[in-house]
Amino acid sequence: MDNGEPLPSYEGLAAAFAKAKAEKEREEAQGLRGSTQNAEKDNKQGEVRFKAAHGLLVAFFTWILLLHILGIYLFTSGFLLTRLVLDHKSECAVPPIDSTNPYKLGSPETGCWHPKGFEKAIVIIVDALRYDFTVPFQAKPGDENPHHFHNAIPVLYETAVKHPQNAVLLPFIADPPTTTLQRLKGLTTGTLPTFVDAGSNFAGTAIEEDNLVAQLRKASKRIVHLGDDTWHALFPGYFEPNLTRAYDSFNVWDLHTVDNGVTDHIFPLLNPANTSKWDVIFGHYLGVDHAGHRYGPDHPAMTAKLDQMDKIFRNMIETIDDKTLLVVMGDHGMDAKGDHGGESDDEIQAALWMYSKQKFFGRSSPASTKPPQSAKERPVAQIDLVPTLSLLLGMPIPFNNLGAPIEEAFIGSHGKDYENLATVNRLTAAQIHRYQHEYARVRGLSEDDRAGPLKLWSIANDIWSTLGDSKKVSHEEWKVASSAFEAYQIETLNICRALWARFNIPRMVNGIGILSGTLAILGMYARGLQGDRTELTPVLLMRGAVGTVSGLVVGSGLGFAVPGLPLEHTAIFCTAVGGMLGIATAFWYARRRTISPIPNSIWGWVSVIFTVALSVGFASNSFTIWEDEILLHFLCTFGVLMLISSIRQKDVLDRALGCYHSVLFIVLTRAASFSRLCREEQMPFCKSTYYASATSSTSATWQLAIPFLVAFTLPNLIRSYYKGTRSYQGSAILWIDFALRFGLLLSAAYWTMDAADDGDWYPGHSETIKTTKIIIAQIVFAIALAAGYSTFSWAKPLLQIETKMKTGAEVEGSTGEQVVADAGSSSITILGYANVHGSRYALLITMWMLAVTLVQKPMGGGAIALLTWQIFSLLELVDTNKLSDTSVGPVILGLLGSFHFFKTGHQATLSSIQWESAFIPLRGIKYPWSPVLVVLNTFGAQVLCAVAVPAIVLWKQAPKKRGLLGDVAKAVSTHILFYAVINLATTIWAGHLRRHLMLYRIFSPRFMMGAVGLLVVEIVAIFISIGGVRNSFLSVAEVFGWA
Amino acid sequence: MSSSTSLTKASKAPKAGTSAVPIDVLHKDTAKLYTHIHPILLLSLYVFQFKSIVADPVPALVNTLIALGVLQIAYVSICLPPTGGSATPAPVARAGGKKKTAPGKLESGIQGKIIPAFLSLLLSTLAGTPVLAITLVLFGAPLTTHHAHTVLCAAHISFLAVLPAIYVYGVEGEKWRQIVAMFLPIDEVFGAMIGTVLGAWLGAVPIPLDWDREWQKWPVTIVTGAYIGYAVGKLLGGTLLKGKKIMFE
Repeated sequence: MDNGEPLPSYEGLAAAFAKAKAEKEREEAQGLRGSTQNAEKDNKQGEVRFKAAHGLLVAFFTWILLLHILGIYLFTSGFLLTRLVLDHKSECAVPPIDSTNPYKLGSPETGCWHPKGFEKAIVIIVDALRYDFTVPFQAKPGDENPHHFHNAIPVLYETAVKHPQNAVLLPFIADPPTTTLQRLKGLTTGTLPTFVDAGSNFAGTAIEEDNLVAQLRKASKRIVHLGDDTWHALFPGYFEPNLTRAYDSFNVWDLHTVDNGVTDHIFPLLNPANTSKWDVIFGHYLGVDHAGHRYGPDHPAMTAKLDQMDKIFRNMIETIDDKTLLVVMGDHGMDAKGDHGGESDDEIQAALWMYSKQKFFGRSSPASTKPPQSAKERPVAQIDLVPTLSLLLGMPIPFNNLGAPIEEAFIGSHGKDYENLATVNRLTAAQIHRYQHEYARVRGLSEDDRAGPLKLWSIANDIWSTLGDSKKVSHEEWKVASSAFEAYQIETLNICRALWARFNIPRMVNGIGILSGTLAILGMYARGLQGDRTELTPVLLMRGAVGTVSGLVVGSGLGFAVPGLPLEHTAIFCTAVGGMLGIATAFWYARRRTISPIPNSIWGWVSVIFTVALSVGFASNSFTIWEDEILLHFLCTFGVLMLISSIRQKDVLDRALGCYHSVLFIVLTRAASFSRLCREEQMPFCKSTYYASATSSTSATWQLAIPFLVAFTLPNLIRSYYKGTRSYQGSAILWIDFALRFGLLLSAAYWTMDAADDGDWYPGHSETIKTTKIIIAQIVFAIALAAGYSTFSWAKPLLQIETKMKTGAEVEGSTGEQVVADAGSSSITILGYANVHGSRYALLITMWMLAVTLVQKPMGGGAIALLTWQIFSLLELVDTNKLSDTSVGPVILGLLGSFHFFKTGHQATLSSIQWESAFIPLRGIKYPWSPVLVVLNTFGAQVLCAVAVPAIVLWKQAPKKRGLLGDVAKAVSTHILFYAVINLATTIWAGHLRRHLMLYRIFSPRFMMGAVGLLVVEIVAIFISIGGVRNSFLSVAEVFGWA
Repeated sequence: MSSSTSLTKASKAPKAGTSAVPIDVLHKDTAKLYTHIHPILLLSLYVFQFKSIVADPVPALVNTLIALGVLQIAYVSICLPPTGGSATPAPVARAGGKKKTAPGKLESGIQGKIIPAFLSLLLSTLAGTPVLAITLVLFGAPLTTHHAHTVLCAAHISFLAVLPAIYVYGVEGEKWRQIVAMFLPIDEVFGAMIGTVLGAWLGAVPIPLDWDREWQKWPVTIVTGAYIGYAVGKLLGGTLLKGKKIMFE
């Protein structure tokens, strides 16, 4: 690279000197370390220079890491909406505020906080029942004729118009995301769902906060559920087992199974003979939703479906008794294509219909007797159902509720009972007040943050206290009091909504901006520079740092000075932008060293195509779900390309080795693919093999043999890769053959004992087993990291010097030898010379392999062993095909790491995190070790691959090759680049699809995996890989001197 | 895809197999005509069979395979010079001299062509199919189920890609090393081969999509990709890319 090219100006004299020196040294390089006084001095300088360059490299990558953290933080803070879930439950006997009327409180028989209106309730959810389905079609300009979904379910409107005191029909507005699971949460807890309900159990979907169903159950009501099985995930064990019927909700092509099942089972229950068996029925019809997904709303199938619903409700009206409240509602609407999940009007406008045989419902004004013609008039929020239903059934309002009672249900059949309305509004507001108070206390929020609502609260209370004796209070006064409490509720809801349910788009966009800019810098650094990167790192770092600091100053200044700008956001963004501008000037300064980062060989294109194809695929839920299979496909493709490339090699040995290793690579990839843990969405096309069965999380007995097999074979396999270059010398023998094998055996023993403990094989000894296995695990870690790092730090290069007597015909062309002195009858040979850097560094891979293996289940241990084998094969492939300078090695390591992430029993879902791995070497939770262990378990494969990256460029390189550290920097940055692209892609898709039906199930988890994965890989690459390079270089240089 | 960036003219000092030249279609009007009709016939056959393949892959693929075999044999015997006429115009005794030698040998052609054609059919069934089936499994085809599907898929790819190649390039080991190493200059046979493989590779893309279509089932998309890839590869290999070589660096 440095031959004959005009040197950039800044290198000037120093470079010329270095070049001259290099020439001189090159002449000397054939021999061992120079022995003159001068050479020793040079050597010392060389070491200092290396250490400085290495330190700068670490600093530079840390700075990239910082940029990534800033970008991810900014995006996440705008994207991942979090809400603290309080465990508090409302008690029947503890009303939120003292009652002022003579009502005796605290009994579910008459009503907990308020006299109840109904004994029983039938709550029917018609999934995706949009409001305009239920009201008569009205011609509008441009929309003159009714569609298939119009006028098909007239019963709700008819009853509400003909018998306004018996029935009421209202628009029922959902809070996005309009997905069934989130909606059911809102409809039963009265809260706004966010992605991370902090404090709730990650692994389970069950609702743990206070909710209507739980309150009913606590009051010993018998609850029946029929239909969509999502309810059972949310409320496990809440329903009467012998009456309840759940149906799979996933098959959207099936319009009738669920609906017919619900209908068949609900009507027998309505029979007077059976009404004593239940108190509340929740029925959930899915046909309308499925018809929408399958055909769209404007289709005859929708007419048929709505017509069927119409008949069912007419039937129900006939059969129910007058103590029963019938509620029919949509949990969300659907868009023009019949899909939902977003926040468009069509998606959030559902319908709510309440019916009673008593004359129960009223309207406050004659104008509102008829149901609203469009969902824009007199809408109620879906969370309003929670206090309404709670009070009507005599239950306490769930603690976290933010909704308000629905006026029509409390105003009395004549529409004049403002006293009742004011009472329930006061009760609801008081509960909200209690909740907000607790929330602020737990979150540590100050009163100032809630100044607005608090003021409204005190105003409402003042009004209430002036009312005095209820006999003399006029309607108007009650009305004023009622509205005052309502105002408090509305204000609080608005504040919470802003807090929990709104994405902060500017933060997200700026976060993505930072990540994109960092990607560009990293891309230029990795693939767009000529020559040794260590020469350019100082100027990049210097200007980057200056830019960062000035950005921070400017940003903080702006944040303070301009009132509209949020300080933290501005400071972060300006810091990152400043840093990137600084780097940009550095690239401009070094422009003569820059080249186009666009690939110019098939290998460059292979790397780009794999990475980009994967990234584009993350926009589709299917490709995200099947990522493991896609990676298998890509890795096998790479293997085949390697096979082709190997066959093209001229050297016969290279060709044979290349063919062998490419076939081996493919076969190992496929072998590893048999270890699978399927995610829910992959069913039924996937069979989990990771655990004993699909429903367990323990290993099968036969799987316990895998770690033992690994312990007996893997060290031998690794040894064979060392022996090829005669590098199996010195410390390697002790480490690989003894320590590593012993560690792997202990790890196998750990998992056997773990199985014995789980399966209770030796009853009575469980405590002994527990203690022993934890000690064993600690020993394994000690071997891997303490003993391993000592070996790695202090081992001599894996060489042996052999003096041979010449026997004439002996011409060993082995690659592992270097004849250094050939004098007369004897010759001195260095065994292991050919791979001195690679063999020395690769010890680090084996150490981390041991540590990662321990924290994986037996099946995962097998996958990690296969991965290790693949890594060594890849090293050979890259060497025999002379690809160490291309991007393909580091990128394939990225693919391998991602692939084995899935093969170690993980998926891009929160539920697949193996939390129990925190307890492998520990009894309880210990910070920071427990999270580190979980990370090592989750990202074990990626960690191992990141550790292996420098080996790609070090494998079989001459000891004094120049610019080797720069090559390491190039490889490491390419590897990080792969993860950075994936991270940016998943980030953009998650942000773009933020209202997608599958956001919480698919895109958000993948985004989180991408972000955490990138940070983990970066930290590992900086501190373990580049850090390790320091040790191995110093060790090699001790023998061979500095280049 | 990627290969387009790394194509160079054959004249540019190839690394090995220096004497390889692209295969030409026989210099006969029937040959020149049929070589263009052939892919149309193949695709029509596939389109015609598509519904039944989707409905019940195994029997339909068998039927299609037989028809494919017949068409391919017809194609190679009408249009292509049999082995021996490709790499070096060595004085091979058989009829397969390429270019100008063809017209004179028209009569002996029947025997000199039909036998190599059937040999190619046999070899692509017995050697090509198992190798490709194993490759498919390595790429993620189900290992324990759908064996008939996978083998039939491999057979289709083999008939499309391997059969004509055996016919024109023979079974010499070194020649096949050059084929696998992609040292040969692109012609319509080699182009069709690469096209088939690339098409089959791309055919895997729609499988995971959640469109719930019947045709997404194994191995319909792969076979479809192979047929389309064959036609495109053959066309490009015989025209635009003819004579170019694939370079890896």
